Amino acid sequence: MEIRPILSALLRSKTAPLLVAIQVALTLAGLVNALYIVDLRLAASARASGVADEASVFHITTSPVTKPSHEQAMAQRQRDLEVLRALPGVAAASWTNQMPVARSGTTSSYSIDRKQQRPSLLMGTYFAPPGLIDTLGLRLVEGRDFQPGDVLEIDESKDHPDGTFPTTAILSRRAAEALYPGTSALGKPVYLGTGASAPEMRVIGVVETLQTPFAQAGAEGEHSILIPLSVAGQYPRIAVRADRGQRDRAMADAEAALRKMSLAPRVVILRSTEQDRTGRYRNERTLAWMLVAVSGLLLLVTGSGIVGMTMLRISQRRKQIGVRRALGARRIDIVRHFVVENVLVSTAGIAFGLVLGLVLNRLLVTHLQLSPLPPYYLVGGALALWALGILAVSGPAWRAAGIPPATATRSV
Amino acid sequence: MLRMHNLSKVYRTQMIETHALRGFDIDVREGEFVTVTGPSGSGKTTFLNIAGLLETFDGGEFTLDGVDVRGMRDAARSRLRNEKLGFIFQGFNLIPDLDLFDNVDVPLRYRGFGAAERRERIEAALADVGLASRKRHYPAELSGGQQQRVAIARALAGSPRLLLADEPTGNLDSQMARSVMELLEDINARGTTILMVTHDPELAIRAQRNVHIVDGQVSDVLRHPASLVEGGGRTATSLQ
Ligand SMILES: Nc1ncnc2c1ncn2[C@@H]1O[C@H](COP(=O)(O)OP(=O)(O)OP(=O)(O)O)[C@@H](O)[C@H]1O
Ligand SMILES: [Mg+2]
Repeated sequence: MEIRPILSALLRSKTAPLLVAIQVALTLAGLVNALYIVDLRLAASARASGVADEASVFHITTSPVTKPSHEQAMAQRQRDLEVLRALPGVAAASWTNQMPVARSGTTSSYSIDRKQQRPSLLMGTYFAPPGLIDTLGLRLVEGRDFQPGDVLEIDESKDHPDGTFPTTAILSRRAAEALYPGTSALGKPVYLGTGASAPEMRVIGVVETLQTPFAQAGAEGEHSILIPLSVAGQYPRIAVRADRGQRDRAMADAEAALRKMSLAPRVVILRSTEQDRTGRYRNERTLAWMLVAVSGLLLLVTGSGIVGMTMLRISQRRKQIGVRRALGARRIDIVRHFVVENVLVSTAGIAFGLVLGLVLNRLLVTHLQLSPLPPYYLVGGALALWALGILAVSGPAWRAAGIPPATATRSV
Repeated sequence: MLRMHNLSKVYRTQMIETHALRGFDIDVREGEFVTVTGPSGSGKTTFLNIAGLLETFDGGEFTLDGVDVRGMRDAARSRLRNEKLGFIFQGFNLIPDLDLFDNVDVPLRYRGFGAAERRERIEAALADVGLASRKRHYPAELSGGQQQRVAIARALAGSPRLLLADEPTGNLDSQMARSVMELLEDINARGTTILMVTHDPELAIRAQRNVHIVDGQVSDVLRHPASLVEGGGRTATSLQ
């Protein structure tokens, strides 16, 4: 191979190659980190909510125009449920206060001992009857679902003695593991808040996955608790699971039916869990596409830089190329000359870029809680830039190979 | 060594056809030193380029060292140039970014010689031209005459059968020109065939044969022109 003379020639006129190497380095560093962030964001937006078949699930939020009494609200909810369950295409319906990934709901702090100074865990708090687990298609991995006797109905407009609260609860697995690491949470206590009057509940079941309405990044997004508390609430909500493929029809039928049988004027809003997911991750997707676009642009600019540098070096060395041809270089030798030259420049840039990429990632790790870059990103990025370099250089290199040997004697 | 018969070369541009060579005949024998003279534009460089396989021709016959080169493919022509021919140019044409050693190395790498053989040949060739001690210098650090010596070393390192030189002394003062000529004569004496284009009548007549080209044709061939000059038959200047 002719690496040594090419390298020493490069080192004698190094400005343009150096600029290209720096460009390659910056591109590599930016590219791997940007694509890694994209991957993380897309992975986050693909996390399971716990709902078994999101395409079949939707929920209905009804907002009364004037605040109803507790009895009126309960009666309306009961009639809504009956009407919905009777609709063709509806498989199950349950009331709840919130839905996973829907971006609105309640989060409270819980502890495992009343004497704790600080609570143990923040959890998305689902107020749910027996059957919500089935409606959402959550997978119960330990214990049991609620029974009708577990449900406590509270009229929020009245005063209640301290400690009036349900005595059972179901946790998501992540929450159970966070509260009771290493052992089963089943039968163990959970307190709402801390202090002597914190209501006590016993864990009667654990579901595999249940995201909070906010589906935060990390484990936090899966810290959920279900409590069999029945309150009228400001905005009563009903979760519905349609038969497979029947969701859109069921949504339309449900909306029409609920409008027809309102006891008092109210606003009815229906949303599918798919819509919730799209809404929840819109920013993530926008960011991901932006980063992909910027990465593509970066590659394009660097590719053009390589093309430009090669064309410049070739036009400056027409005579030299003719001389090489006269001395016996075949066309392919000329092509190889420029490809080798480019690979040397790219390799220097890539080496520097790998270091730069790791430094950039380290900054992101410390300042933005990003996880460390997996090595295959660096390997992939390096290969991509090598390929880009060879691709970019090959056009000009073949044109250089077309410079006639007579250039050695003819041109000035 | 080199035989052309009824060779023609036409350059076509959009508007005009230039018949650079026509009915061109020449026969250069092994070991000869032939100088080529002629007015500007007469076709000297064209002849040398075709002889050196740098350009193709349009009609006639051309055999080089027994090989019929008509219709030969580019890669085969490159190979033949690399193995059998050496080139010396008016403008030296050393590669400015490479030191002398690497410059002489250029054709040897295309030849595919191993590192040890290349080193041996480069050092011998540079020693032959008296520049062995400067192998790590760059062309810009040398005088014109020295640069041309490096170019000669580069041309010779691969042991060519035929050395082609287009006005090798054109850019040198007369003293340096003479020393380059002496070097070429020395090389010829050791067996390498040489074809040299020159404008310098004094140098032209030193060869065994002088071929004069006018209008793309051989107009005059002088054998041992120097002896003619010595004999007072023709003066050197009459060659012009
Ligand atoms: N690439 C080309 N395209 C068109 N015409 C050309 C080309 N190269 C040479 N010619 C023409 O061919 C003719 C012969 O040119 P050539 O270079 O062989 O002359 P020369 O004898 O070497 O002249 P000089 O002594 O000035 O170097 C000239 O008329 C020249 O203009
Ligand atoms: Mg000429």
